[in-house]
Amino acid sequence: MISLGLIPLFPLLGCIILGAIAVISSGSKKGPAEGFVGTLAVLFPALSFAGVALLSLNMPDGGIRETLCNWIDIPMFRVDIGFLFDGLSRIMLLFVTGIGSLITLYSIGYMHGDRGFARYFAYINLFLFSMIVLVLSDNLLLTFLGWEGVGLCSYLLIGFWNKDLKNCQAANKAFIVNRVGDIGFILGMLCLVTIGGSAILNYDALVNFIQMIINGNHLELVVPFLSVAGILFFIGCTGKSAQIPLLTWLPDAMAGPTPVSALIHAATMVTSGVYLLARLGSMFALLPVVLDIIVVVGMLTAFWAAVTGLFQNDIKKVLAYSTISQLGYMFMASGVCAFDASIFHVFTHAFFKAALFLGAGAVIHALAGEQDMRKMGGLLKKTPVTACVMIFAFLAIVGFPFFAGFWSKDLILERLFMNCSMYIPGFSIFGQEIPNIPLNGAVYAVGLATAVITAVYMGRLIILTFFGSYRGSKESEEHIHEAPAVMLIPMVILALGAVFAGFLWADSIGIKFFAETLAPVVGAAQAYNTPVVTAHLNPVIFAALGTVAALLGMYIAYKLYAKARIPVAKGSSAPEGGKATWTFLFDTIHKYVGIIPVNVLAWICDVVVDKILAAAQWTIGAIATILGDGAASFQVRKVRVQIALSILGLIALMAIVLLTGGSL
Amino acid sequence: MLLHLLVLAPFVAAILMVMTSKEDAKSSSRLAILMGIAFTAMSVALIAGGNVATEAIEWFRIPGCKGPVYYYLYNHGLASWMVFLSCGLSLVALISARGITSRSYRNFAIGIFSLMGAMNGTFLAADAVLFFFFFEAMVIPAAVLIAGFGGKDRMKAAMTFAIYTLVGSAPMMVALWYLLTIADNSMLISLAIALQSLPEGTQNLLLVSFLLAFLVKTPIFPFHGWQAITYAEAPAPLSAILTGAMSKAGVFGFIVWVLPIFPLSMSAITAMMWLGLFTAVYGALMALRATDGKKLLAFSSMGHLGLAVAGVFSGSEVMFPAVLVLLVAHGISAGAQFILMGIAERMTGTRELDQLGGLSSKNPVFSTLFGFAGVMALAVPGTAGFVGEFSVLLSLWDMGPLPALVAGFTLILSAAYMLRFIQKVIFGKQAREYEEGRRTSPLEGVSIGVMLALLLVFGFHPAFVTDSLMQADETEDAAAAQVLSDASINQGNAPMTEDEIHQLDSTLAAAGFKEDERASIIAQMKTENNASGADEANENTVKGASDDE
Repeated sequence: MISLGLIPLFPLLGCIILGAIAVISSGSKKGPAEGFVGTLAVLFPALSFAGVALLSLNMPDGGIRETLCNWIDIPMFRVDIGFLFDGLSRIMLLFVTGIGSLITLYSIGYMHGDRGFARYFAYINLFLFSMIVLVLSDNLLLTFLGWEGVGLCSYLLIGFWNKDLKNCQAANKAFIVNRVGDIGFILGMLCLVTIGGSAILNYDALVNFIQMIINGNHLELVVPFLSVAGILFFIGCTGKSAQIPLLTWLPDAMAGPTPVSALIHAATMVTSGVYLLARLGSMFALLPVVLDIIVVVGMLTAFWAAVTGLFQNDIKKVLAYSTISQLGYMFMASGVCAFDASIFHVFTHAFFKAALFLGAGAVIHALAGEQDMRKMGGLLKKTPVTACVMIFAFLAIVGFPFFAGFWSKDLILERLFMNCSMYIPGFSIFGQEIPNIPLNGAVYAVGLATAVITAVYMGRLIILTFFGSYRGSKESEEHIHEAPAVMLIPMVILALGAVFAGFLWADSIGIKFFAETLAPVVGAAQAYNTPVVTAHLNPVIFAALGTVAALLGMYIAYKLYAKARIPVAKGSSAPEGGKATWTFLFDTIHKYVGIIPVNVLAWICDVVVDKILAAAQWTIGAIATILGDGAASFQVRKVRVQIALSILGLIALMAIVLLTGGSL
Repeated sequence: MLLHLLVLAPFVAAILMVMTSKEDAKSSSRLAILMGIAFTAMSVALIAGGNVATEAIEWFRIPGCKGPVYYYLYNHGLASWMVFLSCGLSLVALISARGITSRSYRNFAIGIFSLMGAMNGTFLAADAVLFFFFFEAMVIPAAVLIAGFGGKDRMKAAMTFAIYTLVGSAPMMVALWYLLTIADNSMLISLAIALQSLPEGTQNLLLVSFLLAFLVKTPIFPFHGWQAITYAEAPAPLSAILTGAMSKAGVFGFIVWVLPIFPLSMSAITAMMWLGLFTAVYGALMALRATDGKKLLAFSSMGHLGLAVAGVFSGSEVMFPAVLVLLVAHGISAGAQFILMGIAERMTGTRELDQLGGLSSKNPVFSTLFGFAGVMALAVPGTAGFVGEFSVLLSLWDMGPLPALVAGFTLILSAAYMLRFIQKVIFGKQAREYEEGRRTSPLEGVSIGVMLALLLVFGFHPAFVTDSLMQADETEDAAAAQVLSDASINQGNAPMTEDEIHQLDSTLAAAGFKEDERASIIAQMKTENNASGADEANENTVKGASDDE
């Protein structure tokens, strides 16, 4: 067996070596050899993947635990650096390192000729290190190290092309919005420490603690505090996983290189919120209020983002909103305690969304940087492999039968209907009592409607990009070329995943491998929340309804866009008018709730308070001067003159200070 | 011996520098850097060596006071790290100053060494008068250096700095003198005992006078008037020392002198905590609007130290290690940032944020360092700043969720202004054409790299820092014995340990000094100071206390 510490160590080494190469070679005109750097960059994530695969095959049922050393040891607070490799982290690690390696390979082709080649791969390796720490750690504080670490890498990579200030601003926005969530995470940890001491930051200890509460019937005592902690952690998750209200950063994050969008902003980092909910599942299962909030937030996010996806012209923006929408699905599943279903969707989503993004990257690469779908079209013949990859991934995301998304999405919808215990509390009108109205049907309906919209906007993307005729300029048409093999191979592998990954848990045909491997981790939490609908419903009904939704959406997309005249693109690809209002709804809210108040406060501090203080300070100084002068003037018997001069001096001083705004 | 060396040898070093050539900057800088390395090594040895104290040597007598003033140095975990900051940052400043003030390097080094000696004295003094002496002495070399080597407004900055800080600590001087007329000597314990005998109104007045000095030095709102202009106009290496080490004297004063001497009421503690938090928010908001790179860093420092002060007054058990780590982390990262900003100013000739930009393509090595220093100032986990800020949040959480929430808000703001700062300086396109000044020298780069590496090391293994406090607990008894033996030599005017303060505090503060209680205190005193000299005085003190009742 290999040590767990090795798995994050490989990408860390890679980051250090590549970072050193990047800094050393920064002075030279030519830059380091791309082949050499690229090999190193892929080697370390691949080694990690090999390590994870090896461990996965030999994992005992209870998982592997390993404490490396102590981290923080101060009175009342003690945390170790330790790793936990169990069913949940196994799944997460397998696809993080696996897809990470594939996308790194793809990046070699995508970043070819870029001056920051080595720097890019150093960041990617640092990201993988942080992501591995996030999922492998055995306590919340170390998870938080990975949590902020991936946020930092996301910042570095979004702003990778830092000559353009727009990219920098997008990067800053991502980091700051994530910071808001991270404060929630920190305060959540503090809340837990108050309840049970620093020891329960450890996941095993937390599970034991929860078990103890349940066994001892102390629920009423602890649940209010746990609910606060739960909400705080959930705020952290909304930041990292781009849910309402902290979702504005993700569409902007598309400013980064496309492989980064695929790796960080689709497949891995943004799903860490879902991972955290599953990891803390035993805690969340006790908190019905928090669970209801999660369902509502996930539902609203899924629906809102799907509608927004309809309005976008930028191919990457469509995929970004699609990611947000899919994350909404995962949160809905977490909200009904279906943690295995949410992680399963994380898993399948990683394949088809990464394939879609890499496909989009190949298209953008082929069109020399063009991202506006209104200037694409008819690329099926020019880039057939890319088109096939994207079409397969498209079928997966809309939930076409037997593709990956079909299994996971239907599972989520089914669980939503069966488990959702939300209800409108009963009240009485005119003496007539109205019983509690369960909302599981409503939630299910919104989920299904979102699935239809998903099929529409994804269909639109595929039609606008690959069908019809080319709408770009004539000169650019000649340069269109298929991507090199180094980019195609990862895409094809991911497309295969998008087709077949769902068969790991094909409920309708009786394969439950995925559920069984997660059961030791999340089983207890899920068992705590019993299904609301006890009547046995045939899962085929849900599958059939899901299929109908997908087909309906695809049909609408075909009717709307296949023959339609696409308006000629002019200016920016951003939506306009009412569409813009809808798209930037939360940006507007942030502006009025966050940015403007802070700026006003800052203005008050700078322009009002500080100037008053400065004036007070000078007044005191001036008074001292007057007193001194006054005392002296008594001696020379020119009282009036002196006092008059002093007052004049005071006024002059005040005037100078106030006029020049001498910021003292 | 080490203590004497750290406090006195810098002044000797300053005199040595006088003898070097004024014209030959190269040779004098070599000598200065070598000595700087020696001092840094000594400070590391001090940390490793744990708690030590020198013998208390009688220095002079203030007329009207009972006891003499001692030249008496004592090291505890907190002080040794502050000394490390002062020596280490001075070394980096000496290295970096080679690029800025090549002509009169000698004079610069003289100033830096005197400043270092005064700072070390402040942190290591065990005698209140000695502490105050060094506390005031710090101002002079700093002000002279600003006036001599600063930017455009240097005279104004130097005057503001000197007058503000000297006036700020004037009430403390009066208060200290008043306490000394009552106390047996100027050791911490005697002052604490003497204070007990005073009526509450007087106590509060004295407290305010003490607080004022440290509030100005830190600085805490609304006494920050001197800070921005001073840090901005001072040469960057000096700014690094001022914020990294000297401003720590304020927080240090709260911990080492205010908390043990004054029995603080809950309302006073809460008020100070909120003042600290308000400063943190205020500093962050001001930094958000700053247009001058060094002023931005100055306000950022103000914010971080505000958080530290809030932590000090959280009254939590975690407070000590939390604040210590925060101070060390801030000292190193703010120091590195000021020096980097100095290099940026040297290269581009401006520190206006709008005039900067595009350095990342032009000077990639500098920008890498700059970017990393900025990110580390954000308290990303894995850096020392995170350990500090997280544990301060933990101690604030003890006071209730609201203080922790406000502190969390400042963390968001700090991300906002720091990222804006990084973006304005190194990203984007070059804002204007300029003739490039001296680039980062290899030695500079390496020294900043070492500082950043230290932040990472302390971030992953904060035990290096926090263990020095644990050690202080463990060796307390040995140290106490040492102190007691010192005391018996010196006619029994015992410098006493904190343990005893606690004992005395609790006995005296307990309502009603009953006869037997009093007897037990006196008996205790007697056993401790078997030389007879001090007994009378102690009895008087206690009697005084009971009289007031």
